[in-house]
Amino acid sequence: MDFFIQLFTDPVLFYNSHELLIAQVGVNSILAISLFVTFYSGQLTLANAGFMAVGAYTTVIMSLYLPLPLPVDILVGTLLAGAVGFLVGLPVLRLRGIFLAIATIGFVEALRLGVILNVPITGEGQGLKNPGADPLGGIVPILVSLPIIAYLVWRLTRAKVGHAWAAIREDELAASSNGINVPLYKMIAFVIGALLAGYAGALETHINFFVDPTEYSVTRAIQILTFAVAGGTTNVLGPIVGALFLTSLPEIIRQASAYRDVVNGVILILVIIFRPQGIVAGGGLAINRPRWWPQNWRLRGRAASAN
Amino acid sequence: MTQQLLNAIFIGSIYALFAVGYTLVFGVLDVLNLAHSAVFMLGAVITYSLVALHGVPFIFAALVAVLVCGLLGLVIEFVALRPLRRRNAPPISALISTIGLALIFVAIVEQATPGTLFSWLWQDGANSVRFPTGAVPNPTYHVAGLTLEGTKLGILATSVVLMLVLGYVIRFTQVGRALRAVAENRRAATLLGIDVDRIFASTLFLSSALGGLAGLLFGLALSDISPYIGRDQVELKGLAVIVLGGMGSIPGAVVGGYLLGLIEVLAFVRFGSNVEAGVAFAALFLMLVLRPQGLFGARLKERL
Amino acid sequence: MRMRLPGITVAVALVLAACGSATSGGTSTSSSSYQGKTINLGAILSLTGAGGVYGPSSRKGMDLAVEKINNSGGVNGAKLALDTEDDASDKAQSAQVAQRLIQQGQLLALLGPTLSNSAVAVHPLAESFKIPILAVSTTGIHIVPDCNYPKTDPCKYVFRDSLGEEAAIPANIKVYSQKAHPKTGVLLVANDDKFSSDGGKIVQGAVGQYGIQLLDTVQFSKTTADFAPPVTRAVQKNPDVIFITSLGGIPAKIMIEARKQGFTGQFLGGNGFNTAVVSKQAGAAGKGAQSGSGWYINNTFPSNAAFVKAYRDKYGSDPDQFAAQGYAGILILADSAKRANLTFTDTAGDRTRLRDAMEKVNIDTPLGRFQFTSTHDVKQTIWIIQMDGAGGFTLVTSVSPS
Repeated sequence: MDFFIQLFTDPVLFYNSHELLIAQVGVNSILAISLFVTFYSGQLTLANAGFMAVGAYTTVIMSLYLPLPLPVDILVGTLLAGAVGFLVGLPVLRLRGIFLAIATIGFVEALRLGVILNVPITGEGQGLKNPGADPLGGIVPILVSLPIIAYLVWRLTRAKVGHAWAAIREDELAASSNGINVPLYKMIAFVIGALLAGYAGALETHINFFVDPTEYSVTRAIQILTFAVAGGTTNVLGPIVGALFLTSLPEIIRQASAYRDVVNGVILILVIIFRPQGIVAGGGLAINRPRWWPQNWRLRGRAASAN
Repeated sequence: MTQQLLNAIFIGSIYALFAVGYTLVFGVLDVLNLAHSAVFMLGAVITYSLVALHGVPFIFAALVAVLVCGLLGLVIEFVALRPLRRRNAPPISALISTIGLALIFVAIVEQATPGTLFSWLWQDGANSVRFPTGAVPNPTYHVAGLTLEGTKLGILATSVVLMLVLGYVIRFTQVGRALRAVAENRRAATLLGIDVDRIFASTLFLSSALGGLAGLLFGLALSDISPYIGRDQVELKGLAVIVLGGMGSIPGAVVGGYLLGLIEVLAFVRFGSNVEAGVAFAALFLMLVLRPQGLFGARLKERL
Repeated sequence: MRMRLPGITVAVALVLAACGSATSGGTSTSSSSYQGKTINLGAILSLTGAGGVYGPSSRKGMDLAVEKINNSGGVNGAKLALDTEDDASDKAQSAQVAQRLIQQGQLLALLGPTLSNSAVAVHPLAESFKIPILAVSTTGIHIVPDCNYPKTDPCKYVFRDSLGEEAAIPANIKVYSQKAHPKTGVLLVANDDKFSSDGGKIVQGAVGQYGIQLLDTVQFSKTTADFAPPVTRAVQKNPDVIFITSLGGIPAKIMIEARKQGFTGQFLGGNGFNTAVVSKQAGAAGKGAQSGSGWYINNTFPSNAAFVKAYRDKYGSDPDQFAAQGYAGILILADSAKRANLTFTDTAGDRTRLRDAMEKVNIDTPLGRFQFTSTHDVKQTIWIIQMDGAGGFTLVTSVSPS
């Protein structure tokens, strides 16, 4: 409870003591949005952790070996992540549903285990020192980028691209028979997701003194998935709320931080079963009326009953 | 080199046993049960705690653990899967919901140190432990320059026998036929009078029991029991196996398991360890791209 | 709520002190200026998560030390207040907790974090805020003097009391080679684990000096399921020594597997060997496995014997090296606070004063006589220990600091 008391009574001190947390929330939000974009087009990919790694490592390696200013490094990292996204997307986007998810898992792990851990320039298992880190200043680009990205993505969902994505999500066959170039739009979503994830990875290095491969594993990807799903996948605010809530949870409930993962898991299950559209969305709870519940008692929202 | 081949066969058995459970659920329910790896881990953890913390003899503890894991399978079905089925949720939801359950199971074991809520189940938190020496006899034989361990041989035998039994059940018994019918076409099976819900529950029971068994055998032979054995070591490899062998195909899972064990050991011998792990995923990736139904898969259900 | 209290205590104490004699607050080492004050310390430990097997031990050692000091007059009359927080073994969380503690508390110094992985995030943060931080369990490289902070090198505020692998591993190898003159060795290292790969590098650098030829370096993933393949590869080369630099359950597994496969040579390791848990896990297979440690439980000198007894009395179990290093950490900070002429009004200045005093520390601790080197690293006797095959250790010899 200290957390909220301080938030309201002494915002300046709150900000100073929690800068890193706020920055992390920002990064996680951008990551969740990157997942949101692909989700919106009906694809479940877990490859974002891999694209993050590409963005992060590229930025750090560049700042270690080339005397270019940091924004350039970040830009290159982001673009490279996008390029990798394109290359990975080519073979993978023919797959659907579970297969796509598995293939992306394969990509992330292959990248981490096969490439990062074996190429000397990445520091292999030891990770890399990041000379460009500035934990106190690094929050600024994050806080500035987040609303811009959220706005841009929101505009995209309203534009022709967004409608194409929604159509593809609902029914790929119908969309394609309506003349929508399904592979193209899927690829666009995938690459945008990769760009965002790469950008987030690069930004994150700005607040971290160190990059190492354990940060970019499937576990991380699943964590991001949790943010996006819990927050809501129908509009851009959802992932942000999800990231905000779940990232700050250990700080808010410090006593229960031991059980954080349990809480995460419980939230995930509860959301997916009872409120699949996420926290930030319309509609009520999706509760099935159990067989023994009297017929004439009303339950709010969609009472989809199997009876 | 022959020693390494033996290693490959052994680890392949574990992968195969684990993957069979995975593929069974996928074949019958069309759901990828990512809580399977957590059940794998719990099989080992429960057996360990019964043997080490409560002094139960090993065979007994193993049986209890397998049973409990089967029951956990029912928990997975009723908590994570059935409510979603009832409202025709897309399969992705089931995936996510099993992920949630897995998170919970692992976290519970991870936090269980003396004095916490679950210390009756597990006391060592994130530590890795092994069965107390002497709990299970493990004679080691040295034959023709090779080292053969009693437990590993036992595991090999158990896995083979189980897979044969499973194969028999699926092919020649009533239950097996019902399983295949549901896997083939759920609606038609209902029309034939098969209680699909019950089949699902039985499938999850069976699959999780197998997973738990694989876990405890793993913990036994490799002297490694910790909250992370599911997640770190077998979960993703299990995925690779069922992709290689074909999702939904039991013979595929078996062949895939041994194949992966072989690929890994060969890659290790040739290139060294981390390439080995990367190789598994590279193989997975390639197989998905070139031949998504795997080696034996016929069950390529695409949601159109 | 606990964090508000020390601030109020300091404020009240200041008022009282101001109302008291005007001559007592000053540059003299008069102990009355410490009376009734509180020295605030913070500890960031991995109490849960993957590192949660180490954190609680450190905490118990620290709590024991705080209790002992406070019960015997405090630091010249000032009480120690230790605020321990959990970082759940997560690097990001560790940094966030650190930032919060530093900004909000009136902390004079920090201890921790438990894992090297978190240290690379937290130490530079402490350095940038100019608050002394004492590492009590991290033994890898890049802790001191190089703490990863780009603007200062060497780092001025980072210290450690946990004997580093850079000192322990070569000392261990030296002792063994002088005794047994091994010719060949194989190194087994987990290359996706920073600690293990750091240790591996140190082994590779050290073996040449003692005439040991490294026949092979076998790398594996720290999440390896089956150690038979890497161990087979190592054993087939028939080395005199097998070097193992991993943590957790891995050393025990490797040793058991190697013995199963017929290896009869020597195991030499690093910090991963040094806990009773590992010795127990390895059992008979680990008998004779030798490593360099910062602490040995059966040392009989008073500062250790008293610690072990007090620990057993309070907690009912044996301490381990993490408890010992945590305890020593508090002793170090308390001793430094005593000599630092703290004003208790100027926190930033006090932190620097404390840092200066720490550099000159020279006290008896359960680890032996302890000092810092010029680079804030450990200067103490290195205890060479070996597993006794029954869950414990015996002392082989001790190596005095150079």
